[in-house]
Amino acid sequence: MTISWHNLIVTLGRLLVLAVLLLGTELGVRYGILSKLFFSSPTEIYHALQAQYGEGTLMPNIGITVFETMLGLIAGSLAGIATGLVLPQSRTLSRVIEPFLMVLNGIPVIVIAPLFILWLGLGLASKIGISVYIVFFAMFIPVYTASLRLERTLVDALWVMGANRWQIFWKVVVPSSLPSIYTGLKIGSGLALIGAVIGEFVASRSGLGHMILYASGTLDTPTLYLGIIALAIFAAALSFAVDALGHVLVHWRFADEK
Amino acid sequence: MLEFRNISFHFPTKRNTIDVLHDVSFTCGEDEIVAVVGPSGCGKSTLLSLATGLRKPTAGDILIDGRPVKGQNRLIGMMFQQSTLLPWRSVVENVELGLEIRGEPKSFRRDKAVTLMRQYGLGGFERKYPHALSGGMQKRAALAQTLAMEPEVLLLDEPFAALDAQTRVVIENDVVKICRAGKRSVLLVTHDISEAISMADRVVVLSRRPGTVKEIFDIPFSRGAKSVADVPAMPEYATYFKRIWDALDISVTGMNETAA
Ligand SMILES: Nc1ncnc2c1ncn2[C@@H]1O[C@H](COP(=O)(O)OP(=O)(O)O)[C@@H](O)[C@H]1O
Ligand SMILES: [Mg+2]
Repeated sequence: MTISWHNLIVTLGRLLVLAVLLLGTELGVRYGILSKLFFSSPTEIYHALQAQYGEGTLMPNIGITVFETMLGLIAGSLAGIATGLVLPQSRTLSRVIEPFLMVLNGIPVIVIAPLFILWLGLGLASKIGISVYIVFFAMFIPVYTASLRLERTLVDALWVMGANRWQIFWKVVVPSSLPSIYTGLKIGSGLALIGAVIGEFVASRSGLGHMILYASGTLDTPTLYLGIIALAIFAAALSFAVDALGHVLVHWRFADEK
Repeated sequence: MLEFRNISFHFPTKRNTIDVLHDVSFTCGEDEIVAVVGPSGCGKSTLLSLATGLRKPTAGDILIDGRPVKGQNRLIGMMFQQSTLLPWRSVVENVELGLEIRGEPKSFRRDKAVTLMRQYGLGGFERKYPHALSGGMQKRAALAQTLAMEPEVLLLDEPFAALDAQTRVVIENDVVKICRAGKRSVLLVTHDISEAISMADRVVVLSRRPGTVKEIFDIPFSRGAKSVADVPAMPEYATYFKRIWDALDISVTGMNETAA
């Protein structure tokens, strides 16, 4: 009873905040309290949406950024997981490679971006490349650290039961890394989008980043807001999906809740 | 049958080596339960890891049924001091893990695991995850996992410490019964002298590190007991308790060594 009252109040509160924001900007811009150069009313943003949609540019721009982000996230994660799991299997190899990876990881992505444009051109490939690059490290670091700190007794127990290297890898090493894979996905999903948009900012012909940059250059404030809102909705949906996937990945931690 | 012949073991560390075990010899025959007691840190767990083949002794031989232990060995089963249940597997998936590793068919291993779980009071917890079980239930699941593989030599590292008194007696009796029925060798590490006397046919007392065999006690009288719970009331019990206690020599300096 108290729980449902609590939930009701929270929901109403959220709707109220949203209403104040929408109404505030609408009235503020309409009556000149907020400058049209810096702010846009919901109606103006809606008109920008209609215009962009009508020109047939909105959906392709969203699609391109979503595509770059998803491909960057998936490829970067797979590469990060594979490297993070396999590298610790050889102490020598990991000691050889580790400093190189740490130095690469330290370089800010914004200065790496022009290099990817140079290598892979103005199209989607360079954006996906940048995305893969930063997602790789977001995934590699937690998975690698977890593999190095693997619970020794669990490996010993399986060994005593007669497990070979392969069985130990799949039954202990891989499942032990699932919580860190989840961590990597959470951080990586945000970074995948940043990577794609940074690539679009540096040099591009399409994508939401391109649309935003173009709108900013032409002082088309409503379209600028439209781009930001579209990105925000995609980012929220992605984070929601990653959380749902996380519950499957580390299912045992949630098994007795509900 | 498990034999330790003049076993010594050093842990190599960065600066020097730690002498853990020195010239340890004793046997644990078929249909025999041997308890190993000794101050903590004297090398009891290390001794068991040598028997499994996880570590190699610096000197001496370990034989199972007359053959030297090298690498993995199907005849041996071990229950570790720490929990080794895999948190991402349900309890029944943990209990059947050893059989799965051996490549037993799914229905066979599942049936066996479920039967063992019922026997150990874990019925109804098959689909739970280890973290949802009490410490005592986790220990029972680990025991079921080890017994599912029907090892000829059973190594138990302080297995019953976390159990409540009643469950403890039930499981101690089960282990005794399992050993007798299957003509197995059971090597039990414990810090509980009473448990050692009640369950074991022989008690090996180890000294402080480096662990050497201080004394070996034959405990003939407890073998006929119906339940391990009856042993402390037997007339010989007090004498053996006193002798083992004295051999352990848990003086104040000994306690300090343990805490260090
Ligand atoms: N991995 C290790 N590296 C170095 N020394 C160790 C290691 N594990 C245990 N030791 C040392 O070996 C001794 C015996 O340990 P252990 O066999 O666990 O003792 P017990 O089980 O009798 O309490 C301890 O004093 C400990 O300091
Ligand atoms: Mg120990």
